[in-house]
Amino acid sequence: MEALKSYDWKDKANKALGISQEDARITKSYLSVAFIAILFGGLLGLLQGMNRAGILELPVWANYYKVLTAHGLLLVVVLSAFFTIGYFYAGLSHTLGGLLPKVRKMAWIGFWMKIFGFVLAVIPVLQGDASVMYTFYPPMAAAPMFYIGLVFIVLGVWMLAFGAFINVANWRKNHKGQHIPIFSFFATGVFVLLFFGSLPVAIEVFYIIPWAFGWIETINVMVSRTLFWAFGHTLVNIWYLTAISAWYVFIPKIIGGKRWSDLLTRVVVIALVIMNITGGFHHQIVDPGISESVKYMHVFMSLAIGFPSLMTAYAMFAVFEKTARKKGGKGLVGWYKKMPWGDVRFLAPFIAMAAFIPAGAGGIVQSTNQLNQVVHNSMWVVGHFHLTLGMTVVMTFFGVSYWLVPYVSGRVLTPKINKLGIIQTIVWTVGMVLMSGAMHWVGLLGSPRRTSYSTYFDNATALSWDPYLFFLAIGGTLLMIGVLLQVYAVFYMMFFAPKGETEFPMAEEEEDATPTPMWTERWGLWIVLMLTLVSMAYVIPLVDFIVNAPPGSPPFKTW
Amino acid sequence: MKGIYYVVILYIFLMLPPVANLMESVMIIHMHMQMTLFAAIGFLLAPGMIRKFPRFFEEWNPNGIPGLLLFVLVIVYWTLPRSMDEALNLWYIELFKFISLPFLAGVPLRDSWKKLKSSWKNGLIIFFTLLFIVMGWLYIWSPNQLCNNYLLIDQITLGWGFLLTAVCMIIYLAYSYITDLAENI
Ligand code: HEM
Ligand SMILES: [Cu+2]
Repeated sequence: MEALKSYDWKDKANKALGISQEDARITKSYLSVAFIAILFGGLLGLLQGMNRAGILELPVWANYYKVLTAHGLLLVVVLSAFFTIGYFYAGLSHTLGGLLPKVRKMAWIGFWMKIFGFVLAVIPVLQGDASVMYTFYPPMAAAPMFYIGLVFIVLGVWMLAFGAFINVANWRKNHKGQHIPIFSFFATGVFVLLFFGSLPVAIEVFYIIPWAFGWIETINVMVSRTLFWAFGHTLVNIWYLTAISAWYVFIPKIIGGKRWSDLLTRVVVIALVIMNITGGFHHQIVDPGISESVKYMHVFMSLAIGFPSLMTAYAMFAVFEKTARKKGGKGLVGWYKKMPWGDVRFLAPFIAMAAFIPAGAGGIVQSTNQLNQVVHNSMWVVGHFHLTLGMTVVMTFFGVSYWLVPYVSGRVLTPKINKLGIIQTIVWTVGMVLMSGAMHWVGLLGSPRRTSYSTYFDNATALSWDPYLFFLAIGGTLLMIGVLLQVYAVFYMMFFAPKGETEFPMAEEEEDATPTPMWTERWGLWIVLMLTLVSMAYVIPLVDFIVNAPPGSPPFKTW
Repeated sequence: MKGIYYVVILYIFLMLPPVANLMESVMIIHMHMQMTLFAAIGFLLAPGMIRKFPRFFEEWNPNGIPGLLLFVLVIVYWTLPRSMDEALNLWYIELFKFISLPFLAGVPLRDSWKKLKSSWKNGLIIFFTLLFIVMGWLYIWSPNQLCNNYLLIDQITLGWGFLLTAVCMIIYLAYSYITDLAENI
């Protein structure tokens, strides 16, 4: 009882005084790394875009595949993970009354493990011994140090996942019979997925390491690809879940409204956690060795994930309309005038959501067997994930940064930076629409992904790609301007903006909301259901790959 | 109670010949997915039936144990390789599968579940965990084909499916044991 009281007191103190210095330092460090990663990653992206347009020939010491590997790693492994962790740890601290000292320590150990792992992985990349791209598919083999670096990155992620679980469990022990605050509920879902999703890739890497060292001669290529995508696809959905957490929890507050149904929000999280990992197979639609009926059923599983996404789309528009009508918005579409378009904290994530409409449609196209054959491994796919990741997810992160960074650094968002943010949002939108539009189109015309500029001996088809690739380069240039503006804004807000108080803008439930049933809190059950589904989905192809295994492949260095 | 209609639609959908054939074409999906879904349909239809015929359930399943036994019997029957063969070869056994799993397994389980003490419930999960380990062992290491309609590789896959499901149940038991323990200190 005594403990409970002091805890409540701490809750209140936390609300009044904002985040503790120590917790803020964790988030600031993670966010700094994330935005430095986007600075370098964006620069490399620009080099690639220029090369693809035939404008720039990359020197031997920075060949296309080396650059592409670094671009993928910086943006996929560093930017998204570091942002996600910094963001959710700030939220755990805010909603659970501060991080426990033990958890804070774990966050720092995890931070340095991730950095150490990344440095280990990047050294061979820079030396040109690991141009295997971020998917590192065997039988392409990098220097062993690359994989050892990946092990440390995974261990760091686990450290953070367990830190989050410990903090949530502690809160639950002190708040019996209460729901985990919604933002921490999202965090729990994300860290559950991060942990279980990275198990398969950890197994894969432990299988590759002896092969890369030459202790075992051959590797089962299909098994390693399957393990990779069990992770890769989950990672994609972790970003998505992170982005929608901001849509559900913060956007309603920023537009002056209330949250959508608490129960259904939690159901969306649970559904995404349970059904996610099995979606990995839609990245293997043209892979050999998986029978057609199994692929067919997997497409069904992938499309099932569309359901919570549609619920999200519905929820967002419901919140927008309700809020705008309360403010006097009228007509079928006239209410949109009441939205705060001049507030970057709203505009950026709004465009991010809008981008998910074509992005999601493209995803459904890719999940369809016959259509996948048309676009597989073409630039179309690159266009697709620059829409989903480069726009939907990253622009949400950008929007969040305009309150999260001032919140953790005890400063405020100035009108000037808000204006800069609006400009940044527009530049980024135009750039990404141009670049990803050109990528989609040129992909349909047959231009392959992951291939440096070539006219294939002046083949007519290949020459016809050039105008589109030129648009790609223009888009990429705009994006680089966007990156510079964004990184400037973040570090200005972190170190130079006027001091002041920024709130953590969590929206409230509707007054007349029905209470959420307690069964939503049964995380153990959701995890067991998830594991059962994963076992069911993976047992068929994996047993087949292993029992009917071909001789396997020795390592290759293709570059 | 609009939900009932969705369940009935799912029930009919799963019985449509192309859908049933697709699911039955892979051994593990036949046993672990199709059959589970049919039992789940019974589980979802049960509340309506219990409301319609309260006397019947009260009379035949007063303390939940008869229902539990019926459930166990029907499920164990359908884990036998020969019964799967028969369902594929004889239309009336297939029909019996479609009816027995929802109505003789799913419905009694739902009715019994709330009447049973937690020791019985955990006992049931432990029983199935052990059964699944044994079945997994049987299917993986049996040197010959147990089912005429499926290949050896299908059988091995099913065996691993059984073992993995058993592992999941063990995790569940451990989880509920630990959370119960945490509740009580
Ligand atoms: C300045 C902005 C950016 C530009 C100009 C850019 C450009 C490119 C180009 C030209 C490719 C190579 C296509 C190929 O040959 O296959 C590429 C790949 C990629 N980009 Fe970007 N990009 C930018 C930002 C981003 C962002 C923000 C993300 C994610 C957060 C991202 C994620 C990726 C990924 C995952 C790949 C695939 C790497 C691979 O195939 O191994 N990019 N990008
Ligand atoms: Cu995917």
